Amino acid sequence: MAEAPIVQIRALRKSFGANEVLKGIDLSVARGEVVALIGRSGSGKSTLLRCINGLETFQAGDLAVDGQALRHGHAAAMRELRQHVGMVFQSFNLFPHLSVGRNIMLAPGLVKGRAQAEGEARARTLLERVGLADKFDAWPDQLSGGQQQRVAIARALAMDPAVLLCDEITSALDPELVGEVLKVVESLADEGMTLLMVTHEMGFARKVADRVVFMHAGRIHEMGPPAELFERPQTPELQQFLSALH
Amino acid sequence: MVDFSLWDIVRNLLLAARWTVLLSLTAFVGGGLVGLGLLIARIARWPGADRAVGAYVQVFQGTPLLMQLFLAYFGLALLGWNVSAWVAAALALTLYTSAFLCEIWRGCVLAIPKGQWEASASLALSLGEQLRHVIGPQALKIAVPPTVGFLVQVVKGTALASVIGFIELTKAGTMITNATFRPFTVYACVAALYFALCFPISLWSRRLERKLHRG
Repeated sequence: MAEAPIVQIRALRKSFGANEVLKGIDLSVARGEVVALIGRSGSGKSTLLRCINGLETFQAGDLAVDGQALRHGHAAAMRELRQHVGMVFQSFNLFPHLSVGRNIMLAPGLVKGRAQAEGEARARTLLERVGLADKFDAWPDQLSGGQQQRVAIARALAMDPAVLLCDEITSALDPELVGEVLKVVESLADEGMTLLMVTHEMGFARKVADRVVFMHAGRIHEMGPPAELFERPQTPELQQFLSALH
Repeated sequence: MVDFSLWDIVRNLLLAARWTVLLSLTAFVGGGLVGLGLLIARIARWPGADRAVGAYVQVFQGTPLLMQLFLAYFGLALLGWNVSAWVAAALALTLYTSAFLCEIWRGCVLAIPKGQWEASASLALSLGEQLRHVIGPQALKIAVPPTVGFLVQVVKGTALASVIGFIELTKAGTMITNATFRPFTVYACVAALYFALCFPISLWSRRLERKLHRG
């Protein structure tokens, strides 16, 4: 029997006022799967991602992570769910008043009650993993964008999430810094981390993703393994989207 | 006729200035606590808190402090509570201060980028933890200059408590003038004492600002 999916989304609808941005999304993500969400800006891909950890509320449908249903306005349930979902943002969002090490240790200490020494050891291990072993005591504003984003990834991983959401995490980076961040994400994928990423890096999506989801006008328009989707796009919308990139 | 030396004048003013300091401290500590409570109620979106606190702030910002003092003094008496001038002044100034500080600090919290809220929420922090560990420390940094600036306003605002008969620096000045017939000398001393209270606060604010900028 197949394992239960990590993320299960059913008939999800989301509107901003009168503007419906997600028009019935069905998607399930298996453990260890790497899913890339692509599509034009405004197609709803970032909004979908933000629904998964409750940063956006939705009007209809169900969403569950690791078998746990998302319940808006229910503080204890949200706190529990968010411990299973890590998120990395386009603009890093490191806490500027805390050192790199403290950025990573804050949430595990508060939410999981992880002891100081254990938290510090864990933070150092994670920093080493993202190639920043010497930056434990540095301040966020002393780091380059690529380094800040790698710290943000380490910070998310410190909560031991079942799935990591990446929202255009290289879009705010200088081109020469994109590679170092993608390398970290790729290593996570290789280690079996479940990843859901909104990305404009098609080459990367193709190389790393198990499945690519093309969103268009608030719906999942086309979905499949990257080789298939990029080589033989079925719909004119995807064909147009892909040709516009070249 | 009794002759008053300059030292007599200054000594009596200094004695009265203790009440100005005490009234300022009471207003500031009380107003700070009430203002913080109102701000948290608003941020935590307690039912009705946003509107109620907004209205509260508008009322105290939109009416003269002098009227608030009159209303506290005479209004409470009408309700059957005979409060002393000290209680009325402390109450009015506390409420007045709380409204302004609530609004000043709300602006500081709003100035923190949305990404800080989102990142800390994504890490499963509760609202209290977000405020205490992520938003609060950053908002505090930008809150220092406007808060201390307002503290100076409060110190000077306590002068209005003289109209309901509370004997602080200004009221003492009026009384001494009536006895000495030397209004210019007396009020110059009064002004100098207010300056002596406010100027160090401003200096301290500037120092603090520089320190926070570096840290």
